Amino acid sequence: MLDDAQRQELKRSLQAATAANDASAALAAMRALLEPDCKPSDVQICARAATTLAGSLKQQPGMQSLRTFLVRSVTIEPILPYLQTAALLSGLLLETSLGGFGSYVDDLLSPQGGLASANPDLLLVLLDLDDVAGRLPDLCADGVGSAVDAEVASSVQHLAHLLRSARANSRARIVMQGFVVPHSSSLGPVGDANLPHSLPRAVASLNAQLAQICASISDCAFFDLDALAAHHGRARWTDQRLFLSSRLPVAALNFAPYANALTRTIRALYKPARKVLCTDLDHTMWGGVLGEDGVQGIVTGATFPGTPFFLYQRHLKQLASRGILLAAVSKNNEADVREAFTARAADLALTLDDFAALKINWNEKSQSIRELAQELSLGLDSFVFIDDNPVEAEAIRQRLPEVAVLEVPVAEPWRLLDLLADEPFFDVLRVTADDQHRLTEYKAQAQRATLEATAGDRDEFLASLGIVCTFASALDGPLARSVQLLGKTNQFNLTTRRYSAADVEAFSADPAAQAVVVRVRDRFGDAGVVGLALARTEGATCTIDSLLLSCRVIGRGIETALLAHLAQHAAHLGATRLIGEFLPSKKNAPAASFYPDHGFTSFPHDPTEPSESLFFKLDLNTHLPATPPWITLEGSTTDDLAASSGIPSLASR
Amino acid sequence: MTSQPVPESLRSLLADTLDIPSAEVTPELSTQTLESWDSFTHLQVILALEGEYGVQFDPQRIPDLTSVAKLQAALAEKGVAL
Repeated sequence: MLDDAQRQELKRSLQAATAANDASAALAAMRALLEPDCKPSDVQICARAATTLAGSLKQQPGMQSLRTFLVRSVTIEPILPYLQTAALLSGLLLETSLGGFGSYVDDLLSPQGGLASANPDLLLVLLDLDDVAGRLPDLCADGVGSAVDAEVASSVQHLAHLLRSARANSRARIVMQGFVVPHSSSLGPVGDANLPHSLPRAVASLNAQLAQICASISDCAFFDLDALAAHHGRARWTDQRLFLSSRLPVAALNFAPYANALTRTIRALYKPARKVLCTDLDHTMWGGVLGEDGVQGIVTGATFPGTPFFLYQRHLKQLASRGILLAAVSKNNEADVREAFTARAADLALTLDDFAALKINWNEKSQSIRELAQELSLGLDSFVFIDDNPVEAEAIRQRLPEVAVLEVPVAEPWRLLDLLADEPFFDVLRVTADDQHRLTEYKAQAQRATLEATAGDRDEFLASLGIVCTFASALDGPLARSVQLLGKTNQFNLTTRRYSAADVEAFSADPAAQAVVVRVRDRFGDAGVVGLALARTEGATCTIDSLLLSCRVIGRGIETALLAHLAQHAAHLGATRLIGEFLPSKKNAPAASFYPDHGFTSFPHDPTEPSESLFFKLDLNTHLPATPPWITLEGSTTDDLAASSGIPSLASR
Repeated sequence: MTSQPVPESLRSLLADTLDIPSAEVTPELSTQTLESWDSFTHLQVILALEGEYGVQFDPQRIPDLTSVAKLQAALAEKGVAL
């Protein structure tokens, strides 16, 4: 903990940085000042500095600025500085405005309401149980009340209506906060536990149904406030004295945990999860050192002291089952490790097959991770590194600052899973079928690489893959997958516009627009939905707003097939000219020559509209792009065109 | 109310919470003299004091603790040595 002199010093540097409009120095001071037990006044100082510096903080790398509107029926003002600072340290600059106390329905529904006039990027809905289901405590009083289910259902319906209407009328991403399950009622703990319609049961059911509603609404996350309150102790979550006198819903000592948890949910709406977990082996995957203790000497298995390691292995396997790629990064002899995984298979919760890659050698780990990034075609900011050795951990922090590093508490291996749970590395709101098949797909990728190395020439190799492309509407990607691609594709992405689900829905609804995804499979496996394009036709010109392809499938002509599909459909809509746009980013150099390579010529854009983009044009009458001969298109073209444009399909008429 | 000097720790905490220079924190400073000391700022002041000194004020008295002198007296009443 900081002592008083250190705090004063940090406050002075924050003040100086604010005066000098130096956002990065201010952020560094705030990061140091905002430690877990910091004083409320320090949080307020930091929040104020953030407001003053908003203009230059926005320019910080990775910082995302969000106009945020809070619909609430409780006092949230004293908590706002905590929320703003927690979000800031997560790379989110919240510019907040608040709805009225008693007007949450109006704020959400009315065309003149708070939501409509704030036009926010982010909407937080923070309501009290009393305002949503005020009759519930009385209806639950005898624990058998027949009206309880109906009351819960009607509260859920009411909230669903509010959320759906907000979704329809606003582009904001939404966080809906759940309700704390009351820790006591007039039935007492025994009655609460045993009677079918006790208040705690009713509120738990309300939360569960509300979470389902949120899952059915695009760009809407459920924030499980009850799980958070339970974690910190429901009895101490609210200070009744201040709730009843000032409607303050959270006790002061829980402000920071509340703000951090809410931020973590908000973050999941904006920041993509990491994709690769690199784990050390000795003292991490198992206890002891393989090279010294031998295959039989390492500590692992379903009985103590092997259990903490066994549970870690199980956790890794669970992460792999939803698409997190595992890599073993260890200084060892690979033959020894292979022997350990065979001889101790009964004591290990995973096998070498569960790993997407192995880097078991005596090289620097930073080099191994760099190689992995290249082999898996992923950015270093997708990586997490777990190691017990502080020197290895520090080396990665220094050499590869984009990689998230977690140090294993060697003396207390049972704490590792809790430490991992505290990190937002792998937070996702949805899991798609593509996530579930990721490991298989990466293995197929390795087989393709082997074939490519042995095949004679490129066309022969591509023909031997037996590539099949299927086009579909971005709504059927499914939509969650389409948004995921927009959110995380960096390299082969012509404009890197991070659209939300609502944006994609808007594109799909426009009859002159195309919002298509491409699904790809070959003889080694199904890569799933890997590409997306958004385009709009106005008169004789079709403009490609976005075109992207997962880097795993670049260089096989799929990008050409996607362009051909767009172009043919645009021609179908009456376009004679295709306009392509390339907006350079730090990472999309691989896409820079895409349009010139496909016969587009440079096209000076309107000088009255400043833009960092390069524009290209193609005459469709003379240069209609064609699908490469080695690619088979699947599905009825007419139906696919209709599906991607909103034109009713011929078949369904 | 007698005008005793405001102890340094309390002065710095109130200055930070009310966003004013610490020299302006006098016993006479009140919700009447400082426009930005509104009801939400007041709640923040109360929460900051409760957190710093480990006390809890009676919610019925909180709305009356509207000046530095009154806050100081209420803390003294709770046995806080400033």
